[in-house]
Parts: sequence; structure tokens; C-alpha cells
Amino acid sequence: MMLTLLDELLLFSGATLLVALFIGRGLAAGWMVTILYGGQLLALLKMAVLGYEGGTIASSLTLEVMGQALSWRFDALSWFFALITIGSALLSSWFSCGAWERSYIRQGGNIWLFHTAMALNVFTMLILLASGDLLSLFIGWELVSWAGFLLMALAGGVAARAAMRYITYAMAGGMAIFGGLALIYTASGSLQLEAVTTAVEQMSGAKLWLLVILFGGGFGVKMGLMPFHLWQAPAYAETPGPGSAFLGAISSRMGLFAILLVLVKLFGIVKIESLKVPFTLIDARDLLAWIAVFTIILPTFTAMKQNDARHLLAWHGIGQGGYMLLGVVVADAMGGAGGLLHVFNHATYQAALFMAVTAVIYRTGTSDLNKLGGLVVRMPLSFVVLLIGIIGLAGLPPMNGFVSKWLVYRSLLNQGMPLLFLAAVIGTLGTILSVYKLIHNIFLGQLRVEHEHVSEAPWSMMIPMLILSAIIFITGLMPGIPLEWIASVLQTVGLPVPDYTLGGVESSSGSLDMIWVIGVLFAGFGVGALVFYSAGRSKRVHQLDNYAGGHFLSADVRYQYSDNFYAGLMHLIGGWYRGSFLWLERGITSLVEFLSLGMQGLYRRANAEFYLLTTALFVIAWVVI
Amino acid sequence: MGSIKQIPVVEAKRTNPLARVFDDLVRFCRSRSLFILHYCTGCGAIELPPAMTSRFDMERLGIQPMVSPRQADILLITGYVSIKTLKRVILTYEQMGSPKYVIGICSCTVNGGMYWQSYATAKKLDEYMPVDLYIAGCMPRPEAVIAGLQQLMDKIHSGEASSWEDYYRNYDYYLGNQQKLFGEDWQTPTDVISEAKHYDLLSEGTLGDHTRLLEQHQKPLEALEMRLGHEQEEPAK
Repeated sequence: MMLTLLDELLLFSGATLLVALFIGRGLAAGWMVTILYGGQLLALLKMAVLGYEGGTIASSLTLEVMGQALSWRFDALSWFFALITIGSALLSSWFSCGAWERSYIRQGGNIWLFHTAMALNVFTMLILLASGDLLSLFIGWELVSWAGFLLMALAGGVAARAAMRYITYAMAGGMAIFGGLALIYTASGSLQLEAVTTAVEQMSGAKLWLLVILFGGGFGVKMGLMPFHLWQAPAYAETPGPGSAFLGAISSRMGLFAILLVLVKLFGIVKIESLKVPFTLIDARDLLAWIAVFTIILPTFTAMKQNDARHLLAWHGIGQGGYMLLGVVVADAMGGAGGLLHVFNHATYQAALFMAVTAVIYRTGTSDLNKLGGLVVRMPLSFVVLLIGIIGLAGLPPMNGFVSKWLVYRSLLNQGMPLLFLAAVIGTLGTILSVYKLIHNIFLGQLRVEHEHVSEAPWSMMIPMLILSAIIFITGLMPGIPLEWIASVLQTVGLPVPDYTLGGVESSSGSLDMIWVIGVLFAGFGVGALVFYSAGRSKRVHQLDNYAGGHFLSADVRYQYSDNFYAGLMHLIGGWYRGSFLWLERGITSLVEFLSLGMQGLYRRANAEFYLLTTALFVIAWVVI
Repeated sequence: MGSIKQIPVVEAKRTNPLARVFDDLVRFCRSRSLFILHYCTGCGAIELPPAMTSRFDMERLGIQPMVSPRQADILLITGYVSIKTLKRVILTYEQMGSPKYVIGICSCTVNGGMYWQSYATAKKLDEYMPVDLYIAGCMPRPEAVIAGLQQLMDKIHSGEASSWEDYYRNYDYYLGNQQKLFGEDWQTPTDVISEAKHYDLLSEGTLGDHTRLLEQHQKPLEALEMRLGHEQEEPAK
């Protein structure tokens, strides 16, 4: 039997899992696993023809289960997501080797379980991405859910509770998807991908609505779309450092992958657009767009209130997912490209940000934003990485986040959706405010006495962070590199493809050339630098030689506070934070608890006559009807 | 310090023929973009809002308020300075980046004014720091404040407003007066002597008995260096 390229990749990934599983306790296990991720990346790059030209590469493994053929294959869409998955796994795993690993073991962490969970996540994600029919999609989906649970629950305590919450949501989502599969099977008698299209064509309004809700909701849970967003931030934030970098970068994008595959490629945006919401002027596509926009705004503003750096970033992860869905749902050339580009860009800067925060935790032992400050003089490289990351996250030039957000904004304006545009901009405003809080409270301001002796993160952590920073900048300068892959993805899922160049996109309704934008920006910096370096010498002063209204400062006086950041803003908008979704979640939880208590009371009652009576009643009712 | 005009000032020799043109341009720019830090010590402060706002509109002269001394050019002392306040004023003055200018507003900064008999008021501001310009009056009206500021702009343009150099050249004199008032253990966080070296303004009057006294008890603050080392230091026990 000839092995196809996809077989090689999956075997490599499985081998990584086995290595982690069996010799993961060894000293150099982390490095070994990292090298194997590198091998996976090479195996993926051998399939690069998918990303550049399209087409499919099938796996030679096929199964037959109850008359349904299961198959696995890669196309441009799978390749693009797999690239991000393996790339972020490689860098996160690299980051975890050496210094971080030792401190993790010292604190009582189980490094074997960590490496195994990571390898398992990558393996299951590749299986999901390779799914060639609905049944293998569902199997992959469940595998990814459970693998994610393993990684999230690692740290125990708060993390385990967050992971339980996650798996509850994920199971509910899985059930919804299963319901969707059942509907399609009854309509078309098959679970092949083509069956979806035939089933959708036969279906009427109400049934199609149900299908969209089941799939959209089920996949949306993984993406953390409103109102299913509550689980994500604590689950990702409490995972051990490199794990949250990996999860934050790619894990919830699996939901977007499934949405792209099922709702965009198989249903088609036109079909979704034809579904009208009764008694209103909007259709299902508008509904999705508005869900995406609220997913941007609410979690972003929740992020602003977080006092833990990891939680702040994890909430942003949810918010940024909204931009991706928004771009894809707008579904013109620029919007689709922007949404998909944001998947790539978000993975790069989110991983870099989580790593920088983990480096700070490694050195100072805390990620509490109210207990840090002034670290720029002790950890300057980590500061630079975090700075590059937040510029990307906030969507400002010259980093890559700007390009994808610009494309999404542009498509909203081109398609005449000013309200959605405005809402997206409000979300960006919240992003900028909260990332400023992040960098200010960790790195700027007064260095604490207890952090006098902190030093820069070790090179084993620094190098992956610097590589990610370089990627963030280079793909910001030359977005044409990822846009080339995205063009094939757009073609695969049946969306229009923009005219892209190395520096951006070209269109009659607005072009972008990042090489020019960055050139002009750096020319400005150059003029500033010229003035700075030519006009006199600068002088470095002690942080206690600072102005505090003329007060004489000493080390025991904290002249710079970072408690209750944005108090003034919260005075204005604080009343809007009502925790309605938490309230809703608690309501549902207590309702379920109440019902299960009732059920328990029913079947625990050892009362034969009662059972007989109810059964008899049911039988009579059935006979009569 | 009456004899201040007699101190010979050595002008740096400029060989570049364009240097004078350039210097003139720099002085012109400096005089047209002034940020004031108004240290509102007394009643004179009440005349500043009208001077700043739409009626007299300081900003048309290129003068704006600034919140921190590091970015400010002018220190405005707007009234009597009690001894406690004077410590803060000196701290603030030393934190300003050169070139810097001091304006004393109200009679109190000239000679103590109506607080002449007070035990807790510093009478003459220019005994403790060089003052470029006084705007006398009790209190001076906004017109007078604006006129004074315009005069300062002319002085900056003509190069006369160089009293900040005097603080470095005669630091010992000023420090002596400060020590007389605040006691011998008086110290500000700014290391003025090293700043004098930084600006090439170290002269005979910079060092003396008073600076020696300061050095005996001075605890220098060491600047926080950017550190790239990856080895974590053990905290000092």
C-alpha cells in the first residue's frame, strides 16, 4: 500500500503522541516532541501545493461503518488551519522546553501529561481538519473536544472547574451537531459532504432554520460565540502557560473551520441569506453578523475589567473570533480574506502575548496586573514582544492585525453595513484600551521593590517569542504571503477571491499596500530618531527622581498605582456590566439541577404500584392516540 | 547675587559659519514654544486662568500649561513660598530639563511682600534658584502676566535668558542658601553636579564648602539600567 502525503502527516502526528506518551517522562522529552512537531511541519509543507494551488490529497485509510463510508482528505482549507495548528504547537512546545519545564516540575506539575495532552490535541485537530464526510467530522469534533478538556484540566483546582464547564458546553454543542447530522441523514440518506447540499436543497424554511441553528450553535460553542462564550476565558487562561498559548492561538478556530466547511462551503452564503427571520427585516446572515459583532464587543469590554493578564488575553481571544466570523459572513472578496487572514494573524500575536505573560509569571510568580509594574527595565525583550503583540491585537500598523481588520472594515463599508462597521470599531476601541492596561500594568510605571532583582526570561523561552514577533511584523509588512494561501482557501469554500499583491490587496473600492504604509511610518520614526539622536544627549534618571506634585519620593511610597484602572471610564459605562449571561447560565444550571432532583426523586422512590400506574397510563394514552 | 553679570562667560568657539544662523533659529523656535509648569503657591495663581483662557489667550503666543516638569520650560512661582513649599519648588526646578526659565509672580517672590515678617516664608526667591523675570504686583493682572511672558520670549530669542546656566555655575552659592534654610542634611534626588558636567557647565562656583557638606551625607540614586542578562540575581539579604 502506498502512503499518501496525508498518511505521512497523520502517522508523524500519531508518532509524536506515542513518543510523548511512552517516553514523555524523560529529561529531553520536551525537545524530542518539539523536533517531532518540526517533522510534522515539514510533512505539512510537503503538501504545500494545497495551499498554493488547491486540490485535495486523500488519505489511503477508509472505513465503512453501517453502510457509511468514512474518509479523510486535506484541501486548501484544512492545510491552512493545519499550518497554524502545527506552527503554534511547535513554538509553544519549544517555549515549554528547558527553563519553563523545570519550573513547572518544581511546582509539582506533571510534564508528561502536559506533553501528551498537547500532542493529543494536535493529532485530533489534524484528524478533524482532514475529515472527508460528516461522520468523520463529528468523530474528529468529539476527539478535539475531549483532547482540549485534557489540556485544560491539567492544572487542577480552578482549571479543572473551568474545564468541566467547557466540556458541558462542548457536549451540548456536540449533541446539537449530532441532531443536525440526523436531520441531514433523514433528508438524504447519506452522510457524505455532497449529501448536505442535496438535503439543503430539499428542505423548507423551518427545517433549514433548525439545521442552521443546530450547526451554527454547535460549532459556535467551540468558537465561543455569544451566548456560548462564558466557558472559554477561564478554561484557556488557567491552562499552564505554553498550553494557553497553543489553545488561545488555534483551539477555538476549529469552530470557524467547521462553520466554513458546513455553513459556507456546503450550505452556501446565498442559501443562508435566503432565510428570513420572521417578523423582522433581517435574514440569517445578518443574524450571524450581529452575533459576531456582539461577540466582538462584549468579551472585549469584559477583558478590559480583568485584573489577571491571562484572563484579559483569553477574553480577547473570544472577541477576536468575532472579527473572523464577521469577515466570513460578509462574504465578499475582502471580507472573506480579512476573516481568514485574521485567523492566521490572531494565532501569531495571541501565542506571542500568552508567551510573554508566561515569561513574566515565570520570573515574578504572578500575573495579577495590580501586583506588577515597571518591568521594562528588567525584561526589555519580553516588553518588546508584548508590545509587538498588542499592536497586532489592537489592529494598528505596522503589525499584521491591522491588515486583517482593515480588510474586514473595508468590506463592511463596501457592502453598505455602516452599523456593523460602527460596532466593530467600538470593539477595537475596547481592545486598544484594554491592551494599554496590559502593557502599562506589567511593564510601565514604578518597578516594585520585590522585583528589583528580576531578570530577562531565559533564551529557551525568548527565541520562540522572538520568532513569533518576527512573523507578526513580516506578515504585517507583506500580507501577500498568507493571502496567497487564503486565496486558495476562499476558492475551496466558494467565496470570491480578492486581487492580492505582496503588500496587500488591490481593488477599485480601496487598495492597501502595507509596504508603503510601513515605509511612510518608519520614515516618520526615522525623522524622530534623527532629532532625538542629533539634538543633545539624553539622561537616564532614577525612578524615584520623579515628579509627584513636588513630593519627595522614597522606596516605601508607591507613587504609581494600577488599582482600579479606568476608574473614570467605569464611572461612565460601569453600569452596563450586568453579568446578564452569567445570570442566564446560573438560571439554566439551577433549572437543570431542579429537574434532575425531581427525576431523582421519581426513580429513587421504590414504589412498584406507582411505576405500574404511570406505565399503564402511558400505554392507554398510546393506544387511544 | 549682585555680581552675577561680572562673571566671565566663555563662549564656545564656533567655526561653522552657519552656526550662528542655526543658533538664532534654535532660539527663535525655543521662544515660540513654551510650556509652563505653574507651581501655584499663592494668590497669584488666580490670575492665570484668565491669562490662559479665551480672553487673554496665552496660547496665541505659543505658551501652554504642562503637567510635569520634565516636559516644561517655564516654572511659574505664583506667590509667597513658605519654607516647606520651597523644598518642593527646588525639587521641581531641578527636575526640569534645561534650558529652563523661572518667573516669579507677585511681590512675595521679590521680597516676601506682605509676609515679610513671617517666620515661615522664604523672602527672596532668587537666593535659592536663579530667576529670569519677576512680575511684581499684588497681584499682577493678566495683562501684566502676558507682558512679562512676552518679555521672557524676547529674552530667550536674544539669548539673555540664560540664568539656568547660572544655577550650575554657582551651585555652591544656591546650595549654601538652601542649607541655611533647610538644615545641613538637605538633599534633592537630582544630582546637580553631574548634570553640570553633563551640560559642560562645571565652573569654580559649582563646587565649594556646601557641596562638600552635601557629599558627606548624600545617598545617590542609581539609575535603573536596562538589563539584558538572563541569569536571575539573588535578592540581597
